[in-house]
Amino acid sequence: MKPRVAFFDFSSCEGCQLQIADLEEEILDLIEIVDVVSFREVMKEHSDEYDIAIVEGSIMRPMDEHRLRKIRSRAKTLIALGACATIGGVNKIRNQWPTEEVIKEVYKDADIKDNEFFNVYPTKAVNEVVPVDYYIHGCPITRDEFKKVITALALGKKPEIPNYPVCVECKKNENVCLFELGKFCLGPITRAGCGAICPSKGSPCDGCRGILSKPDVECVMELLERYDLTYEEMKSRCMMYNTESFNPKDGMTIVRRGRK
Amino acid sequence: MKKTKDIRIITKNEFKNFVNNMIKDEYYNVIGVKEKGIKYVFDSLENADDLRLDYDVTILPPKKYFLPQYEKMMDFNLRESFNVKKDNSIKPMILLGVHPYDIIAIQQTDKLYLDAQKDDFYKKRRDNIIIIGVDIQKISPKSFAGSMKTHVTDFGFDLMITNLEDKYAITIGSEKGRTLLEKHGKTKSADSTDVKKIREIRKKILSQYTRELKVPKEEWSNVLAANYNHPIWEKRSQKCMECSSCTMVCPTCYCYDVVDDVSLDLKEGSRIRTWDGCLIRDFTKIGSGEVFRDDISKRYRHRFYRKGNYLPERYGFVACVGCGRCGTACLPNIADPCDVINDLSHFERSEDTSRFFIKQKSKVDEKGVIHVPRSATIKRAEKLTENEMFFEIELDDHKKLGHKPGQFVEVSIFGVGEAPISVSSGSSSKLSFDLVVRRVGNVTSRLFKMKPGDKIGIRGPFGNGFDVKNFEKKHLLLSSGGLGIAPMRSLIQYVLDPNNRKKYKDITILYGAKQPNALLFLDEVKEWSKVHNVKCEITVDECAESDCWTGCTGLITTLYPKIKLDRYDSENTIAVIIGPPVVYKYIIKCLETLGIQDGNIYVSLERRMKCGVGKCGHCQINGVYVCKEGPVFNYNQIKDLPEAFE
Amino acid sequence: MNKDIEIGIEHVTRVEGHGNIVLNVKKGKIEKVQWQISEAPRFFEAMLRGRNYYELRTITSRICGICSIGHSLASLKATEDALNVSISEQTGILRRLAINGENMQSHILHVGYLALPDLLDVKSVFPLVGSKHNDSLLKVVKLHRLSNEMSDLICGRTTHPITLVVGGFSSIPSKKQLLKLKKNLEEGLETVKQLAQVIHSVIDKLPNFKRETEYIGLTSKKEYAFYDGDIASTDTGIFQKYKDYKEIMKEYFVPQSTALHAKHNRDSYMVGALARYNLNSEQLHKEAKNTADLLNLKPICYNPYMNNIAQLVEFVHNIEDSIIQIDKLIKNGIKDEKPADVKIKQGRGVGIIEVPRGILVHDYTLNEKGKCTKANCIIPTNQNHANIQKDMEALVPGILNETKEKIELTLEMLVRAYDPCISCSTHYLNVKFV
Repeated sequence: MKPRVAFFDFSSCEGCQLQIADLEEEILDLIEIVDVVSFREVMKEHSDEYDIAIVEGSIMRPMDEHRLRKIRSRAKTLIALGACATIGGVNKIRNQWPTEEVIKEVYKDADIKDNEFFNVYPTKAVNEVVPVDYYIHGCPITRDEFKKVITALALGKKPEIPNYPVCVECKKNENVCLFELGKFCLGPITRAGCGAICPSKGSPCDGCRGILSKPDVECVMELLERYDLTYEEMKSRCMMYNTESFNPKDGMTIVRRGRK
Repeated sequence: MKKTKDIRIITKNEFKNFVNNMIKDEYYNVIGVKEKGIKYVFDSLENADDLRLDYDVTILPPKKYFLPQYEKMMDFNLRESFNVKKDNSIKPMILLGVHPYDIIAIQQTDKLYLDAQKDDFYKKRRDNIIIIGVDIQKISPKSFAGSMKTHVTDFGFDLMITNLEDKYAITIGSEKGRTLLEKHGKTKSADSTDVKKIREIRKKILSQYTRELKVPKEEWSNVLAANYNHPIWEKRSQKCMECSSCTMVCPTCYCYDVVDDVSLDLKEGSRIRTWDGCLIRDFTKIGSGEVFRDDISKRYRHRFYRKGNYLPERYGFVACVGCGRCGTACLPNIADPCDVINDLSHFERSEDTSRFFIKQKSKVDEKGVIHVPRSATIKRAEKLTENEMFFEIELDDHKKLGHKPGQFVEVSIFGVGEAPISVSSGSSSKLSFDLVVRRVGNVTSRLFKMKPGDKIGIRGPFGNGFDVKNFEKKHLLLSSGGLGIAPMRSLIQYVLDPNNRKKYKDITILYGAKQPNALLFLDEVKEWSKVHNVKCEITVDECAESDCWTGCTGLITTLYPKIKLDRYDSENTIAVIIGPPVVYKYIIKCLETLGIQDGNIYVSLERRMKCGVGKCGHCQINGVYVCKEGPVFNYNQIKDLPEAFE
Repeated sequence: MNKDIEIGIEHVTRVEGHGNIVLNVKKGKIEKVQWQISEAPRFFEAMLRGRNYYELRTITSRICGICSIGHSLASLKATEDALNVSISEQTGILRRLAINGENMQSHILHVGYLALPDLLDVKSVFPLVGSKHNDSLLKVVKLHRLSNEMSDLICGRTTHPITLVVGGFSSIPSKKQLLKLKKNLEEGLETVKQLAQVIHSVIDKLPNFKRETEYIGLTSKKEYAFYDGDIASTDTGIFQKYKDYKEIMKEYFVPQSTALHAKHNRDSYMVGALARYNLNSEQLHKEAKNTADLLNLKPICYNPYMNNIAQLVEFVHNIEDSIIQIDKLIKNGIKDEKPADVKIKQGRGVGIIEVPRGILVHDYTLNEKGKCTKANCIIPTNQNHANIQKDMEALVPGILNETKEKIELTLEMLVRAYDPCISCSTHYLNVKFV
């Protein structure tokens, strides 16, 4: 029996699901190997029985958490789709400030007090609410990676995502390193898997697939000086998609792998 | 009389025509050096005007044409039980504008890829690519090719161009080059002034290098041999970002990984190899998740040792051509070999340069096609424990595997991947061979679900196997820990075979596992005990009451005091140990107590064996390829290798 | 007529974002008809707080997956307005191509995957596969792919563009690539004309509903306005003080919606393809005008269900326009231009652009360090929510006699006709950061 797949979205721009809708003819190949039982954005049918749940978006309210837990309980496998789901993405930027402050600034004196729709707390990635089995990173995801993960699951194997930085793919593309053009790129500390698409088009990597490792502070300081950037600016860039990777107090808190 | 190379002269205009003629020639793809923003790259040439022979260095070396970043090796069809087709087609190519240091790097790569186990993808490309070199006109600021003496070369090219300002000199390096030049270019003979000018220009190139090595490359091996534990490795690697850019841009780096790419409809796919780098943490990771070179300072150090000591010991050349690409690519500026070796220049040197290497005694047979798996069928599949399964496999061409005890095969499941598994049966008259698989990763988990009649791919046998000739007329003490019994079984079956038993004296088989339900082949152990002068002792680390275990309990080390050896016996006993990394230390101590010398102890080590033929680079223990010089090692040879028993 | 009807459609399907339709009728009397937005607020203002001017377009593109190019461009226009950065003619042409690509991509996605199933009586696009409509589906797929390829080429990536930066582009397509695109566009033009014939054959399925409405959009003397223009209203005419857009677009909060509503001359107004058509139909290119004729679209059209027809007409126009723009680029010669220089200064800038769903405004204030201290955005779908509500209120009495399923379908089709982009529309407010 083909695995039954259902798509869900929470707080997101739905751009990741759009990448899947954009598979176009390949959607026909997709539905040969899986049964899409729920995909609100493109179809009316919905079923509460599925094996694989694919979740896009971050969790911001108790009502969303409740819905997510239901989904987790029904699915054997849960895949977090896109940066908002895997690491919080841009949705976490506001976590730098207390939620009450942000709400007050945005909604001022509007009467939202007992309104369930507005009952928000600091943004959470999906794995901060329920266990996640696989991650498809990126803002947005790349179609190739989605296909790789789905075919791996359909073949009964664990999908393998790169555990090395964007530089590997950027060098394989033979790009002119953006650092040599005076731009500060987060490629060296960001997880690969996107084919280094942004640096390949002249735009520095912003870390949307998740920061892989904490770089040596002395090295970073040297680089910042060489490229005329302040520590604050770099931190701000890193915090675009990876806000809570950086503890405001001590700077960088991700533990480095392979270092004693 | 020394044969001087034939040199032709061509005007600048005629050279342009030569290039355009080659471009128009539909037989070839012409690749030349072009601008890419502020840098240079090798790329398809559409017009001679785009060619920039005055470049300093390209972002990536021409290795990308011999060993592409992504190279499809074979296509497989998943609708059938075994259907694979090799794909190494390539349209003939002309590489125009290769610098001497890159030409020398290609020569080095030849030694590795065109050895006894030729890589036929590399060979096909090598045979179909014409190399037109060019003498360096502009020096890259980070290059130290002058000190490395790689700034000029007399061989390795089909044609070599030198800019004589108002004209070009073209040195003919091969018949292929001559034919090409005669076909598309109008040239005349060079006279003695031209020849003299070429020599002057090459001398002048050398003087333009600003960077200098304080240690000539012939002595790098000595410097590195003495400074393995120098604080420089820890200190410099502190800043390393583990981005592996250094290995990606290096002309002498050629480690690769292999992945299976499957179409979305699951009907077909391709096996693809892609560049890998030893700076990446997962480079040495095996199915169970263990990483053998975890610490970044060790990975950082490894790269320099491979270039400056391991490969020189193996092939006689320093695997660095001073191109300066890694120095340019490295953001924290720690990758430059010139800086590193200069920093070490005033420290000790050592004559013992081969301490990280094991010279192979036996010659390796050419294995024919080394990448494409052969079709094999599962004849028997039995679950031994919760996580271990036994398979009897027969090759579909009805030939024997032809393996030696201690060798391994690469088991291939298209779409999933490959895994190295030790052969578990002795070589005998049987057509089939046995494998014992522990379910740890994707391939082994898939194997677990397979049944008799299913097909898999087999590559190999690989590895050196046990040196059974050396074991003759000796007592044998065979110790297996845990799953080590699986490869040990191949040796046991071999020595207990009625045709072979007489060659060996007393045989003692010791076997320990964690719990009773982890023990394998208990029935066979009983049979082994029945053979003449064979003693078997089994123990488990611990057992629960419910296990109903009536045998020994205790670590395997508790079995050794039971063995009594007089001096004659201890000098004439060969001990073999196969088990998880943790047991070696302890068992070797026990063997020492028994008086068995290091030279009589053999171990079988596991690393990440991927290609099985010493090319992909993943299985290295210092300068040793576990898939070629191992997996069986004489303890005396390997005990001083720092990475062996960490 | 004394029925009790209770309709609660949670999370309307085949629209972007989460919206609910509620209809309560007791004994033939309408107690409640509501269009509710339940999408979680995303606090984009908080995300822009204190950000450098060059980061704004990256973050605002994440407001929406479908119109991310539009948001980036509006953001860039606002930033460049604040910093007094002028862009080159080539950049202007490339940006027009970018907007054309996005408009095409969004419209064909909507008309083909989201609205067409209703016209062909199926629940989604999947049943069309292998059916008698398979050919039409393939045409939609082909056109969608063409639009995506165009956006990929110009912007680096369709969703969350890469190459659109302050002052220009980080990477420029080559002549070879543009010529190939032009050829594909010419083929695409033929394909969409065939698709229009198919729509023509089922066009009677569209409800014939009419409610006099105000339409607001950009207008320009030079072209059918997308990238540049002045704000215009079918009621009140052209408004040139673009920085005072709030005089036209008056937003207000309603409790059943986490998104704001908007009004101008009446209780509500409509933006989007139909609005643009009603304002600028004379400036459509030739084939687009022919398509409008074929599908019975005439200005001024007050039937919101015809918005999807207007989208198809605009698609045709975008293809014709793109061919013209590419010809211009080739004629001028494509230059490898670096983005224009930026001198950081304090200032306020407003960028107004037409995205597929309607007129979009980004309004930024930057401090002397080039960091954002104040941000406001007016999203097209926000401006439509009130109109959807009013349309529903006017529509429901006329369909109360139908079956429950038919009422549900008609209401859903109404929402889909607007092609709302709900996740964009939530949370936009005027914010000042201290």
